[in-house]
Amino acid sequence: MHGPRSQREQAAAILAALGGIANIDEIEPCTTRLRSLVKSPGRVDAAALRAAGAYGVMISGRVVQVVVGPGVDTLASDLEDLM
Amino acid sequence: MAEPTGRASDPDAPAAHASGRKHVAVREYVSDLVARELDVGDAIPSERALSERFGVARMTVRQAVDALVADGLLAREQGRGTFVAPRRVDFEMRLTTFGEEMRRRGMRPDSKVLAADKVPAPADVAEALGIQPGRPVHYLCRVRYADGTPMSIEQTWVPVALVPDLFEHGAPGSVYEALRRFGLDPAWGEETLTASEADERESALLSMRSRRAVMRAERRTYSESGPCAYSRACYRGDRYSVWVPLGTPTKVLVPRQPVPAEA
Repeated sequence: MHGPRSQREQAAAILAALGGIANIDEIEPCTTRLRSLVKSPGRVDAAALRAAGAYGVMISGRVVQVVVGPGVDTLASDLEDLM
Repeated sequence: MAEPTGRASDPDAPAAHASGRKHVAVREYVSDLVARELDVGDAIPSERALSERFGVARMTVRQAVDALVADGLLAREQGRGTFVAPRRVDFEMRLTTFGEEMRRRGMRPDSKVLAADKVPAPADVAEALGIQPGRPVHYLCRVRYADGTPMSIEQTWVPVALVPDLFEHGAPGSVYEALRRFGLDPAWGEETLTASEADERESALLSMRSRRAVMRAERRTYSESGPCAYSRACYRGDRYSVWVPLGTPTKVLVPRQPVPAEA
């Protein structure tokens, strides 16, 4: 992901933009994207995801896909620590 | 029409299963010939020769050959016979260009430029590039050839703000090369493939006589600093396949159970 923040800060920002840990059923790292299943899509803030460095956000039902680029695996380990 | 010798015509009879095996035997024999002995463009043995060799009806031979045509191994030429078809180019999901891919396969790439303009970005292109709709983008439309055969039609959009002079020396041979020259090395991307049919214009540009199947590829290319190119390509269905390596899914992250509060 781009931007001057540390990856840990970006992970935290993504979790918040997804509606917080309480709103998350699961997150799956997928090469260039994070694919998450949320409890309530209404609590997802797409603008905040973009501000956190996402290149694209796709929401379909409870599935939220966030395009972040390669480096998804290290981002995933930060997300895991926070979750 | 030659009848299979000594075979019953009752479909429930064991002989029917024997005919089924014969169909497979014909098919395996021909595909083996193609793999070991024949070259692209060679004729396969005639229907008559195959039906005599295997002692089956011409219909059975035709079915076996139909199956191999459907698989893309053989091609029928009206009035001339059935020949070994050109191999499909296997299209791996790599961030490379058409030219790079063709050269890796020992084929000579070429292009015909249909358009090279600056245009205001349509909404969908703007969204893919992360810019405002209407902002100027370079637009390049080319027919791509390999060894003189048209293979695909590609449309590419690059923001003018990123590369003001992309067409300064005419349309670039390679958009990726041009991006690299401007310090925007393609670093990663995403591509979506869709099965489709060519329209009249695409069919004509790709010299597709009877078949219409194409594979559409929509690609977003990113440099380290963000989206740098968006493209839509239309590949001939009879000359492309996609090879995709499969791995086990990565670990799915699930929130930890909250620690119960002390009473």
